Parts: sequence; structure tokens; C-alpha cells
Amino acid sequence: MTPQMIFLVFFGGAAVWFGIVVFRTRSMVRSALALLFSQTAVGVMFLLMQAEFLGVLQIMMMATEMSVMAIFMVMFMMDPGGMGAMDMTHQKRLSLWAGGIGLVAALAVIWLADWGPMGLLVPDAAEQTAQLGRELLDRSMFIFESAALMILTAMVAATMVAIHPSEGRKR
Amino acid sequence: MIPELMIALSVGAALFGVGLYGALSQTNLVMIIMGVELVLAAALVNLVAFWRYLHPDVPAAQMFVLIVMAVMAVEMAVGFGIAIARFRSRGSVEMEEARELKG
Repeated sequence: MTPQMIFLVFFGGAAVWFGIVVFRTRSMVRSALALLFSQTAVGVMFLLMQAEFLGVLQIMMMATEMSVMAIFMVMFMMDPGGMGAMDMTHQKRLSLWAGGIGLVAALAVIWLADWGPMGLLVPDAAEQTAQLGRELLDRSMFIFESAALMILTAMVAATMVAIHPSEGRKR
Repeated sequence: MIPELMIALSVGAALFGVGLYGALSQTNLVMIIMGVELVLAAALVNLVAFWRYLHPDVPAAQMFVLIVMAVMAVEMAVGFGIAIARFRSRGSVEMEEARELKG
């Protein structure tokens, strides 16, 4: 077992374990923090797979995203600390079956498929970022711009949905 | 067989399973968003693993990772927009109480 494999197993295990903790703990704030740790472990996996730019981006993005999520938890929940031991689940058996079948089906595909030979020539971090930049502003520019438009539309839509209906009538 | 690819894809599959369970089993809108985030994280792991172990010379694979990250941000923004609207009108983000769209 190479060191890369050992660390992949360790951080992959951490990502999955914290993912499970998200739905096991009763405290919503702890759930948000567990999701942050899970996403950070995923980011570290990216770094291990030599995708430095994406790894750092993932960690930075998820840190801010999960902080926002924790704030929303405290704002919206009657019991964000989980002291009241409320049960906020439904159709547990069905969900377990769906998650289990999804997992087994994905594992079957992963372990039975022939993935072909391994690509060996990984560009260094600076070259990767330069290549990605060229890809985004050249061949994939239309897709990249579509993503930008999607974010803008979502921002406008989210703001419009969140504005109180009476605020529009005051003017 | 590429062992590192198998490990990364298996982690992705496990994250997908956990996320799917969470998205289906939770009654709170913010917790459902968390489940979907885990499913998207599984997609990210798979994309980076495919790029690194199968096609490290193709930068388009990394571009897809950026698109999925954008989808994650959009999903969260719209989800929280709906959560705010729901909280204002009903005082709760419990999806068990959201039955207006049911015929």
C-alpha cells in the first residue's frame, strides 16, 4: 500500500464518517460542523489526488458555505442545540433502503467495470491551473459563461423568493 | 485495476448513499439541503478521481468540477431563499407541513 492510498483511505473514511454524523447528531449546529469536516476531508482528498487548485477551492468554498448554513440553522430552528431531543426524520426504512441500494449499485459498477489504463503524466500545480484557465476561456467558454448566468439567475430568484410580499407594496 | 481510483470511487459511492439517505429521511429543509450537498460532494470526488487516474491530460474534467461547485452554491442559495419564504409565511421549515402542492 502506497502512502497516497493510506491517506486516501483515511480522509475518505473521515469524509464518510462525518457525513454519517450529519444525520446522527440531534444538534443542528453540530450537523453543519460535521458537514464542514466532511467537505474539508473531500478537499484534502483532492489535494492527495494532485488537484491542488480544486482542493484549496473546495476547502475555502465549503468553509464559508457551511458557516452560512450554521447561521441559518440557528435562525430557523426552534431547537438548534438539540436539547429537546426532537425527532426530525420520516420514512426512515425507505430512506435506508434507497441509500443502501444506491451504495451497492454504485459499488458494483465501480468494482466490476474495466476502467482501462492509468493516466500517468500529471501536470504540476501551476501548469494545471494554467491549462484550466485556458480551457475555461477558450474551448469551454460557453459552458463557463452558462454557469455564470446560472448563478446570476439563482441569485435573483433566491432574492425574489426571500423578499417579503408586503415589502413590494409599500412603494 | 487502479487501486487508488477504486478507493476514491468507493468513497464517492458511500457519500452518495449517505447523502441520499439524508435527503430522503429528513423533514427539515436545511437538513435536506445538507443531504443534497453530500450527493454533490460524491460527484466531485468521482470527477477528480476520473481526471487524476484516467485522463490527467484533459483539463475539461477539472472544468466540470467547477460547474458542480457552482451547482452546489446555486442549490444552497435557492434552497435558503425558499426556506426564508417558508419561515416567513408559516414560521417553520418543516417539510412535513408543506403539503400545499399536493393535489
